[in-house]
Amino acid sequence: MVRHYFVLAVKVLLRRKFFTFISLFGISFTLLVLTVVAAFFDHAFGPGQEEPRQNRTLYAERTLMHGPHSTSGSSGGFKLFDQYARDLPGLERLSLHENGHTVHTYLDGRKISSSLKRTDDEYWRILEFRFVEGTSFGTADVAEARFVAVINVATRDRIFGGQPALGQTFEADGQRFRVIGVVENVSSLRTVPYADIWVPYTTAKTDAFKREITGDWNAMALAKDTASMAAIHEEFNSRLLRVELPDPKEYKALVAPFETRLATFAREMPLTDRKDPESQVWRFVGLLTLLGLLFVLVPAVNLVNINISRIMERASEIGVRKAFGAPARTLVGQFLVENILLTLIGGAVGFVLSIFVLQAITDSGLFTYARFTINLRVFGWGMAFAVLFGLISGVYPAWRMSRLNPVQALKGGSR
Amino acid sequence: MTRHLLRLIWNRKRQNFLLTVEIFFSFLTLFGVVLIGMQYANNARHPVGYQIARVWSIGVDRKEPAGDPAVRARHRETYDQLVRALSDMPEIEVVAAGFTGPYSNSNWGSGTDLTGGRSVNFGVNSVTDGYRDLFDIPIAEGRWFSREDDAATWKPVVINRRLAREIFGEGTAVGQIIPEAPDRDNPPPDPAAAAKRQSKRVVGVIDEFRQDGELSAPQNYLFYRMRLDYEDPEANLPERILVRLAPGTPASFEESLVKRAMAVAGAWSFEVQAVEDMRTDKLRSYTTPLMVVGTIAGFLLLMVGLGLTGVVWQSVTQRIREFGLRRAKGATIPNVRTQVLSEILIMTSLAVIAAVVLLAQVPLLPLPRDLTGIPASVFIASIAVTVIAIYVLTLACGWQPSRLATRIQPAEALHYE
Repeated sequence: MVRHYFVLAVKVLLRRKFFTFISLFGISFTLLVLTVVAAFFDHAFGPGQEEPRQNRTLYAERTLMHGPHSTSGSSGGFKLFDQYARDLPGLERLSLHENGHTVHTYLDGRKISSSLKRTDDEYWRILEFRFVEGTSFGTADVAEARFVAVINVATRDRIFGGQPALGQTFEADGQRFRVIGVVENVSSLRTVPYADIWVPYTTAKTDAFKREITGDWNAMALAKDTASMAAIHEEFNSRLLRVELPDPKEYKALVAPFETRLATFAREMPLTDRKDPESQVWRFVGLLTLLGLLFVLVPAVNLVNINISRIMERASEIGVRKAFGAPARTLVGQFLVENILLTLIGGAVGFVLSIFVLQAITDSGLFTYARFTINLRVFGWGMAFAVLFGLISGVYPAWRMSRLNPVQALKGGSR
Repeated sequence: MTRHLLRLIWNRKRQNFLLTVEIFFSFLTLFGVVLIGMQYANNARHPVGYQIARVWSIGVDRKEPAGDPAVRARHRETYDQLVRALSDMPEIEVVAAGFTGPYSNSNWGSGTDLTGGRSVNFGVNSVTDGYRDLFDIPIAEGRWFSREDDAATWKPVVINRRLAREIFGEGTAVGQIIPEAPDRDNPPPDPAAAAKRQSKRVVGVIDEFRQDGELSAPQNYLFYRMRLDYEDPEANLPERILVRLAPGTPASFEESLVKRAMAVAGAWSFEVQAVEDMRTDKLRSYTTPLMVVGTIAGFLLLMVGLGLTGVVWQSVTQRIREFGLRRAKGATIPNVRTQVLSEILIMTSLAVIAAVVLLAQVPLLPLPRDLTGIPASVFIASIAVTVIAIYVLTLACGWQPSRLATRIQPAEALHYE
């Protein structure tokens, strides 16, 4: 029976090519946009090459100090994490790393700008980089403040003209580093692993950061298992109550939660309640869904209109089927199958188009080192969007169809 | 005639309702894009109030918080030496230091309650005396900061004309003290002395200073005077140094500039950028989102247009008999065509009226003024542009189908019955 529906659907679609074109255009464009958004989302938050253990990793990247008159936000300070987070229960590893800073290398009158990140040795054990040359710096390098650096391939191209760089030295921000490793480029949208140059944090120009409660530092906590994540979050929050705030007159409370990647991002979004970090992911997802629904509204109404037009054109066919006793349920089913088939075709077109659009965005260089690709997860999202869209835009026309009066329909139309 | 058309539309209400809904949402989408575009265009008409040719901005990272008074004093002295050292370089014409500068991403905003219950918000900056010369900021009234202010017992400030008008109305602002209501939540220990020291006195009014550049909404602005040769525990330290280069200085001068700065402050980091480049980045941060949204809205409208054409087309073919009858009873081709287009016009009007009524509520919402920041003229002009665009779009979509309706021969049409 379903096969029969398919044959019929294809025949109907081919009969009115203009309508089919309009429908396919609308569907593929809508699904193109949704797929591109899904690919972005997956690129920024999905499990990635450098962060394979993201599902049991927590990040503390934004701290807020609240007082009666003011609120101040920044990254955390080295001391905050060094003193209060090292011995959290359920912790497998803890890495402290500074925010990336733009540094400059002057080479034969040329200026080369790079993002430099000062990290500890645990950073390299939690994240997985693809090394092209050499290796990362270890515990001894950090403890003895050796001026060694890991650079990415792009930096190797810029500074050393693409030649093997192992053992070579270069200057950045007035300091001279020896290259001990070269890694593949990391997308700038993966904020934790992203940088051009990584050096031991002990090479910082001053050690003032070691006394800071708020400052320029991020912590990344790898939990023993997913079950311990809640405990880490809770325990650190309760320890925050004991922290001596730098300006107790101005600020009374410190918020610096260990949270998932998505929650960190969600907290920065508008319309979220910054003081209540728990509800934010849901709010954020809700907001995204709402925006998505609003975006889909116009194409969906458009498709509903076209669908109704198509049904009215087939009024006599429906009249015959009704006259011969086809129940409303069957007719609704038939129409939904038709519509989902149409949206899947449109989805496939949109999907192919989205590959080109993502390639164009990648080539535009708007997002440094980001390579947007379609993977199985994004494909799944695309298909889910297509079926959902087919259902949303098909239910009402199908209902209208099933309610056609057979006598009127047989005469070839209704209002 | 109109009543007759309305009845015809009512008879097909379900389908027409969906069409109207579609036009309604298209209107709102288009309006959003038009509004942002018009707002940018309107903003771009006004001058920014400074010149950025040959100016470089040097962002300074001091690597150490200056909460401790001793550290603070040391930093200030280093800044003073830095500014002197850079001034001595022959390639540099003017040096100034400040909290922020044009097209920079760091903003400092403040607000104050005036006596009399009003409150004003303004962008704030804290700068050294050379800042005006460096950016060639035209003075509208009074003067810029100078050594004259060294002995002042109040805080000298320079404000822009917009802020002057907001606080003092049309009267002169120079020499006036900004009338601030006392802070009730946080009373100072010695009110009299504090009031004297805290009071901001206007020494000059400038035309404009739009820190975020030509596409940003004009805002109120206030400059504090910053001194590097005197320790004021309440004043801010600079976050950036600005230099104007002599004409013809090559870009490669940057290396010697940074080397010179490092020689004075080796523990600090410096990030040099031509303000022209910062401007490009800043403008892109305004236009890129608009372009993305505009492209998507454009495709949405194209899709709606095609859909509308298809639906009108289909309804025309379905109503062949009706049109045939009208032709047989003596209606001319333009008559029938007018009927089809009028029906579309009426539906468009219904959607447009609904959308405009909805949008008219927006200015009535209790939104903070800084958030909206859109002048009524721009809002109304955007509505007008959108209304015209939507009518053009829907009429264009009805054009081809309406020709189809008139091509029908009466005899052929009636033949169906």
